[in-house]
Amino acid sequence: MATKRRGHLLKKTGLLVALSAGAIFAGFPVLWMASSSFKSNTEIFAYPPKLITEHFSFDAYIAILTDPTKVRFFINSYVVAICVTLLTLLVALLAAYAFSRFEFRFKKPLSMLIVSVQAVPPITLLIPFFGLMVVLGLYNTYLGLILTYMVFTLPYAIIMMTGYFNTLPKELDEAARVDGASSMGALWRILVPISVPGIVSVGIYTFMISWNEFLFALTLTRTPDMRTVPIGIQLLMGQNSYEWNQMMAMSILGCIPVLVLFLFFQRFFIGGMTAGAVKN
Amino acid sequence: MNSKGATVKRGILSILATVSAITLITACSSGGGSTPVAAGKVTLEFSQWWEPELPAGALRSVMDDFQAANPNITVKLLSAPYASTKDQTIAAAASGTMSDVVGLDGAWVSDFAKQGSVADLSKLMKSAKYDESQLASQIKVGGSTYMIPVVNFVYPMFTNDDLLAKAGISQAPTTRTEFTAAAEALSKLGGNTKGWVLPLSLQAPNGIQNDVMSWAWASGGSMLKGGKPDLTNSAVTSATKYVKELWDKGVVSPGALTMTEQDKVEEFTNGRVGMMIDSLSHITTIREKNPNLKFSISAIPATDGFAGKRGIPYASWGIGISDNSKHKAEAWKLVQYLMSQKVNSKLSTLAHAFPGNTKSEPDFTGTDPLFKTAFDIYKSGAPVNEFTGLPVADQLMRDFDEQFQGVLTGTQSVNDALKKAQAAWKTQF
Amino acid sequence: MSIKIINADVSRGASTKSLGRRLAPYGFISPTAALLFVLMFIPIAMVVGYSVMDNVIVNKHPQFIGFDSYIKVLTNSVLPTAVMNTAVFTVVSVIAHLVLGLLFAMMLNTKLLSNVTTGLFRVIYILPWLFTVAIIAILWKLLLNPNGVINYALISLGLTDKGIEWLSSPATALIAVTFINIWAGYPFYMVSLLAGLQGIPKDLYEAAKVDGASGFQQFWSITLPQLKPIIISMSMLDVIWTSQQFALIWMTTGGGPINVTEMLSTFTYKLAFSNYQFSQASASAVMILVLSTILAFFYARYQKARD
Repeated sequence: MATKRRGHLLKKTGLLVALSAGAIFAGFPVLWMASSSFKSNTEIFAYPPKLITEHFSFDAYIAILTDPTKVRFFINSYVVAICVTLLTLLVALLAAYAFSRFEFRFKKPLSMLIVSVQAVPPITLLIPFFGLMVVLGLYNTYLGLILTYMVFTLPYAIIMMTGYFNTLPKELDEAARVDGASSMGALWRILVPISVPGIVSVGIYTFMISWNEFLFALTLTRTPDMRTVPIGIQLLMGQNSYEWNQMMAMSILGCIPVLVLFLFFQRFFIGGMTAGAVKN
Repeated sequence: MNSKGATVKRGILSILATVSAITLITACSSGGGSTPVAAGKVTLEFSQWWEPELPAGALRSVMDDFQAANPNITVKLLSAPYASTKDQTIAAAASGTMSDVVGLDGAWVSDFAKQGSVADLSKLMKSAKYDESQLASQIKVGGSTYMIPVVNFVYPMFTNDDLLAKAGISQAPTTRTEFTAAAEALSKLGGNTKGWVLPLSLQAPNGIQNDVMSWAWASGGSMLKGGKPDLTNSAVTSATKYVKELWDKGVVSPGALTMTEQDKVEEFTNGRVGMMIDSLSHITTIREKNPNLKFSISAIPATDGFAGKRGIPYASWGIGISDNSKHKAEAWKLVQYLMSQKVNSKLSTLAHAFPGNTKSEPDFTGTDPLFKTAFDIYKSGAPVNEFTGLPVADQLMRDFDEQFQGVLTGTQSVNDALKKAQAAWKTQF
Repeated sequence: MSIKIINADVSRGASTKSLGRRLAPYGFISPTAALLFVLMFIPIAMVVGYSVMDNVIVNKHPQFIGFDSYIKVLTNSVLPTAVMNTAVFTVVSVIAHLVLGLLFAMMLNTKLLSNVTTGLFRVIYILPWLFTVAIIAILWKLLLNPNGVINYALISLGLTDKGIEWLSSPATALIAVTFINIWAGYPFYMVSLLAGLQGIPKDLYEAAKVDGASGFQQFWSITLPQLKPIIISMSMLDVIWTSQQFALIWMTTGGGPINVTEMLSTFTYKLAFSNYQFSQASASAVMILVLSTILAFFYARYQKARD
C-alpha cells in the first residue's frame, strides 16, 4: 500500500515537473510581453534585460483605453469575431451533419474541394477578393469581414465537426428519426448536445482566427471606425519607430477576452459529458 | 412517414434562418461606406501614413483649416500602417477604390504611374495655372510629374557624444579613414558597444538606400549613368568595399542582416552603438525615449580628400492624386494648400522635416537646436536619392541587398556581387 | 472501430430513401456551398485568369499569353530554394506541433492533479495561441535579439560568450523561424486533441487494464487509434496552413538572410508586391492550388478506405 502511494507521489511530482517545464516554454514569452507592457520604451531595449521594471507604469494601458479610436478597434473585433463564430458553427453543423449522415451526389468532390481551397495562398487572393467585395458593396462593412472570415473558418469547422459526428454512433440519431423526429430534430436535439466539447473547440478556434486575422482586415476596411485590433497594433508600428509598450499592452488586452472565453468553456473539455452519452 | 416532408421544410427553414441572420447583420453594419453628400459639396478622401507619425490631432487640424478656407470641401483622413501602405495602395488602385489624395513614397511612384493609378499632376498644375517654381522638387516619370514631395527627411550621421568621448574621439569623423578609426575605438569599449549600425532587413530593404548607397553619394558618386544602372563603377565599388571592410573589422552591430530601420534607432537610443546614419525625424523619438542621451549630427563622411558637394540622402512624404478621382480639381486644391508657403512651413515644423516649398522655412524656435544644424548641413550639401522614381525601386534595393548579404557572409566577392546586382537591375529597366 | 462498421450497415439498411431524405443533405449543404462559391471559387477563377494573361493589374489592357508566366516561375532560380525551405519548415513544424500538442494534451488530461492545477496549466499552455501573428513576430524578434533576454540568459549561464544572431545568421535563421512557428502553433493541436481525449470511452482503458496492458501499450493500442481521425485531419490542414505561412516569416526575416528562409509564400509575395509580376504570382498560386488538390485527393481516398 505504502509503495503504491509513493509510486503515485513520484508520478505526481514527475508530472508537475514536466508540466512546469512546458509552462516555461509556453508562458515565458507571454510573461515577457506582459512585463514589457509596463515598461517605458527605452527599458524594453535595455541591456541587461529586466523582467520587473523599476518604473512600473500603466501609461500604455491608459493611453489605449482613453483613446476612443482604439477602444473602437476592440468593439469592432468583438462584433466581427462573435458573429463569425456563431454563423460558422451554425452553417458548419448543418454541413457536417450532411457529410456524416447522408449519402448524396458530389459528396466526395465537395469534401475534397473544401479541403483544397484552403491551400490558395491568401496573399494572391487579395486583389480579386478586394475587387469582389467592392462590387458586392461589402467593402468596409462588418458583413464583408464576417463573410470573408467564414470562408476561412468554415472548411476547418466542417472537417472537424464531420470527424466528430463520425465518432458518434449512428444509432443515436437513427433511433430518434425512427421515433418520428425529423433530420433537423435529430441533429439539434441528439447530436448537438453531445457534441459540445467538439463545438466549443471549433468555436474557440473560429473566434481566434477572426480575432487575430490581419491581412484581410487591413485590405477590406479603410475607415478608422471599421479597423480591428490587429490593425490597431500595426498602426503603432510607425515609419520611424514602434510604440513598443502600447503594442504589447494592446495585445495583452486583446488576448483577455479569448482567455476568458477559454476559462468559461474549459469545463466542456473536462470529463464526463460525452463519456456517458457515447457509452449508451 | 411525415418526417420526410418535415426534413425538407426544416432544411429550407435553416437556409432562411441563415439568410435572415445575414441580412440582419448587413442592416446593422451599414455604418461604413461613404455618406451621401449634399449638392455642391465634395468629400475628399486622403489616405496616408502621416497622421500617426505627427503629434496627435495635428494633421486633422491642418485639414480643418483647409475646410474653413474651402467650405464646399470636406476631407476624410484615412490612415494606414506605413509598412502596408504600398500593398494596400496597389490593391486599391486595382479595384478602383483608391482615395482621391494619396501619400506616396518616392520608391513607389514609377510603378503607380505605370499602373495608371496616379494622375498626371503636370496637367492639373497647368489647368490650375499653378506656379511650379515654388516647388523644391517634383518626381517625374516619362516627363510628367506624378508626385510632389511635401516634406523631406534628410539622413545625416548621428554620433553619440558620450561614447565618442569615452573612446577618446573629440570630433565626429568627416572622412572614411576617421570613421573607421572611430568605429574601431568605439567597438573596443567593451560590453555590447559597437561602432556602427547597419540595417539590412530584406523585409524593408531601404537600408541599402540610406546606409549603404549613402556612402557613395556622400563622396559625390552615383549608381546610375544616363538613367541606367551603373553599379560596377568605382564610386559604388569603393563604397561597397568600404562597408565590407567595416563589417570584417567587427565594428558593426550584431543582427544586421535582419535589422530594420526601427531596430537601428533602438540600438542607438540605448547607447549600444556610437554612430549611425539616420533620418532627422528620429531626433524627437530618441529624445523622448532616452532624454539623457547626448548626441550630435554631422554630414556623412566622404572619401579622404574629397572636396566636392556631399550628397546627403533623403526620403520624402510625397503626395499624389488618384487617376480615378472624380474630384481632381478639388484634390489639387488640397495639394496646393499643403504646398503653400505657410502650411508647408507648419507641416515641416510639425514633422521635423524640411519643406517641399522653396519659400517655406521651418520654424526652429523652441525645437531641438540639432534641427538648425541639420538644416545647415542640408543647405550646404546636395540632397540626393537616386532610387526615387526608379521602376520597382523596392525590388532594386532587395536585389542589391541579397547580393550584398552574400558578400558580408563571405560567399562571394564584392565585384561578383555588384556584377550580379547590375545584371538583376538591368532586367528591371 | 467495430461499432462503426455495424453503424454503416444500419444506415444503409435504413436508407429506403424517399425524396425528402434525398434532398435534405442538399439543404444542409447549401449555405456552405453558396458562400464558398461566391467568395472562394470566383476569386480563384480570377486568379487562374490572371495567370494566363500578360502583366495584369499593372497593365490596363492585358493580353492572353498562355503559359509563359508558369514557365517563368518554374525557371526562376530562387524557386528550388523556396520549395526546399518550405518543405523543411512545414515538415518540422507539423511533426513538432503534433508531438508537443499530443504530449501536452495527455499531460493535461491527467487525473493525478487537482482540477484547479490542471486548469491553470491549461490556460498557460494555450497562451501562445492568443496573439496575432504580427505581435508574435515582434515579440520573438525582441526575445531573440543579439542583446535580448534569451541571449542574456545563455551568456549568464555560460553557454555562449557572445550573443547569438538567431534570426540574422544564415546558419540559424531557418531553425529560429521554425521554432517560432512551433511555439505559435502547437496549442491548436493541443485543444483539439484534448477534446478528442475526452471523447475516448473510459471502458476501453478499463478493459485494457484488466488485460494487464502497460501505460505505453494503452497509449499505442487505444489512445492513438482513437485519436487517429483527428490527428490525420489536423495534420492535413496544418500542412496546408504551415506551407503558406507568410506574415511570420516576412516580419521576422523577410526571407533572409540572403535567401535561407525564403518560402513559397514570401517568393509569391515578392513577385506580386515587389516586382509587380501579378501574373507570375497568380501562376505560382495556381500551382500551389493544384498541388494541394492532389494532397486533398489522397486525403479523400484515405477517408474512403477508412469507411
